Formats: sequence, C-alpha cells, structure tokens
Amino acid sequence: MGPSGSPVIAAELRGVTKRFGATTALDGVSLEVREGETLALLGANGAGKSTALAVLLGLRAPDAGEARLFGGDPRRPSSRRRVGVALQEAAFPATLRVREVVELVRAHYERPVISAALIERFELGRLVSRQVGGLSGGERRRVAVALAFAGSPRLVVLDEPTAGLDPEARHMVEEALEAHVRSGGALLLTTHRLEEVDALATRAVVMGEGRVIGERAGS
Amino acid sequence: MLLELVRYPAYLVPTLVLPAVFFLFFVVPESRADATVRMATFAGFAVIGVAFFQFGVGIAVDRASPWETYLRTLPVGPGVRLAGRVASAAAFACAAAVLLVLIAIATTGASLPGMRWAGLGVALFFGAIPFALLGVALGYWAPVKGALPIANLLYLVLAYAGGLWIRPSRLPHAVDSVSPFLPTRAFADALVAAAIGSRADWAAWLTLGGFAVLFAGFAVAGYRRDEGRRFS
Repeated sequence: MGPSGSPVIAAELRGVTKRFGATTALDGVSLEVREGETLALLGANGAGKSTALAVLLGLRAPDAGEARLFGGDPRRPSSRRRVGVALQEAAFPATLRVREVVELVRAHYERPVISAALIERFELGRLVSRQVGGLSGGERRRVAVALAFAGSPRLVVLDEPTAGLDPEARHMVEEALEAHVRSGGALLLTTHRLEEVDALATRAVVMGEGRVIGERAGS
Repeated sequence: MLLELVRYPAYLVPTLVLPAVFFLFFVVPESRADATVRMATFAGFAVIGVAFFQFGVGIAVDRASPWETYLRTLPVGPGVRLAGRVASAAAFACAAAVLLVLIAIATTGASLPGMRWAGLGVALFFGAIPFALLGVALGYWAPVKGALPIANLLYLVLAYAGGLWIRPSRLPHAVDSVSPFLPTRAFADALVAAAIGSRADWAAWLTLGGFAVLFAGFAVAGYRRDEGRRFS
C-alpha cells in the first residue's frame, strides 16, 4: 500500500511514444499496473504490446513520455529489484543445467526465493539436472516463467506466459500467477487468449496500431 | 559463463587445444635452441585466441540471443556482466597458457628461471589487453554469422604475420615487411624480451598501448552503435 492507502503503482507508462524509423510503434500510450491486480495487454500482432513491455522494462527508451517501475527509471538496475520477467522467447545457455540457471538468476536478487521452493512450485524437479539445450519448448517456457518468480518480485511481467504449455502446465502456471496477485503482487501480461484474460486479469487494455483503443474488465 | 563454456567443445577445443597442437607442429620438430622463446610467443598465441573468441565471437553471438535481452531485465548493470566475461576470459587464458607451457616443457625442455616466469605472466596479461579490445570491437561490429570466420581469419593471420609461430626473420619477405606494423609483432617482441630477461622492449609496449587506444575507440563506437540500434 502507498502512503495514501491506495495500492502502489508497480509499473506505468505515461504518454509514451516510440518510433522505429517511419513506424510509430507506440503513440501516446498510458497505462498503469497496481499491486494486487493483473493487467492484460491484448491485441493483434504488431499492436505494440511487446514494444510497450520493452519500454516498461527499460529495454527501449521512449521518444516521448516516460516509463516508471515502482516510481523509478526502468533503465536503472535499482528500479528492477522487485521485478521478475519472462520474455516471449525463452532462451538460455544451452550447456547450463536448469538448476544452474535458477541459481544464476537468483544470485541477481537481494532476497531470492529458496531454490527448492521455486523448483517445487513450478514442478521443475524432473528437469533440474538436465541441460537447458535438451528441453522441449514447453519445458523451457515453464523454466522461464519460474525464473520470473526467482527474485521474490512484487511485479511479474510475462509476455505470452502460457504459450507452448500443455493444459496441465498451463493450469499450474495460472495457479502460481493467481497466488502471486492474491498475496498483493502485481502482474502484467500480454496474451492473445481471451480465456486467459477472463481467467487471470483484473483489467485488460486493448491495443491496436500502437494505441490504447479500449479497456475491458477481467475476472 | 565459465561453466557454460567449459561444457562447449566447439569453444574449448580451438581455444585450449589448438595453440598446443600448433606448438607441436611448428616448434617440436625444429631445433630446440629457441624453444623457450617459442614457448613464450605461443603462450601469447593461446592468450589472444581467448580474447578473439570469448570477446569477439561471444559478444556477437550474445547480441543475437534472447538470453542477453533477458539478462538486461535483471537488476544489475552492464558493468557486472562485462566483469563476468572478463573474469571468465582471464580464467580460460590462464588455462590455455598453462597448458601450452606444460606441453612446451614436456616436449622441448623449455624453461625459465623463477622471476622470469612472473615477468612472462605480466607480459602476457598486459599484452593481451589490446587483443581483448579488438575482440570486443569485432563482437559489436561483425554480423553474428560473420563473427566466427572473421575472428578465425584475424587470429591466424595476425599470429603468423606477427611472428608468434616462427621467428620474424624466417617470415617471407613480403610478410616480414608488414610485420613490424602489426600488434601481434609488438606482442611477440614484448614476450621475447620477457622470456630472455632483457630490458623491457618499450617500443613494443608503446605500440601495444597505441593499438589498445585504437581498438578501444572501435569497441566503444561499436557498443554505442549496437546499443543505439537494439536498445534505444
């Protein structure tokens, strides 16, 4: 909770515009995610969802407007201390084992989740001793989502969180996401799946051609 | 990064094993008279190989990797990641040089008095810096698919023409005429001075320093260009 008693704003874009050459990927986009809620970004390919996430995470600088993570500049490492991320493409050094990747990511945070708890929560027990290069796409996706929780984050950002997961794994991930929000965390995800919005999201922002074109209530 | 590379034979073999194999081919069959000097220059060859492949190819490959993008979302700055790469490169460079030295001692009887080992170590460490910077420049300027062949070409051509494999006096005339202007020649001269215990070759060190400044400029420009394209 913030000083005024209202939930803390975990992430926000304020009037963000981002251009790539002649293409305007984001055009005056404003949105915010508060602790205790799940915001879904919906939209077709090319709508600007991934660019919005990239600006929010400090991977891209806005041409106009600003992005904030817990009130700070996302390009500063200190602003990312309470943030966990799973990008759309889950890629890891192929020769590292799952346990080693988990430890590597945990080492970046001041108060990481205990490895055993993380491995159990995301059912990675069968995979911990395997090299990441030998995992299937769905298994790598599950590892990527698990890593987003490795640092005990208050904000989790997931780009297409359940893409490539089988129904059982998808259910397990959705349970973990719901538990995170119930405990007061914030969740920002992009998705194509309306059923995911209905299952998880407090609110959904619909994007099209780089703009916010609508909002809808979630579950 | 260390663990990742140790399990990757495509990296391990050329960086650790190749210099030793070259030593066996180029030095062992020849007269042992200058085996100690050759050991020193081949150790240099081993060390700059790590610089080219770990920085040059490593950075180029990482640029195209979603893993590198993911690492940027973690709460540490680029300096920490660079420090990790440097530490890993230092470890591999040590391993490559030690392996080379052990093989040299075992096959040619090359040897140095105690303090000259330290002098050679210092020369290897500081002499490798320009090549690490060249590797970084290569990593940021080369296209991903071109980085490995370019690194191989630079590595082998510079090593040969700089006299790291054979005495510069035995290089073909055309190569020898270019050799004095190469950073690998300066490195070879510095290593030879350290190995024979003569006074430091300041001309060689000044040359290496100049190349370090030049390559650092290319590296910084390449980094800014890449950052501007991918993360601005």
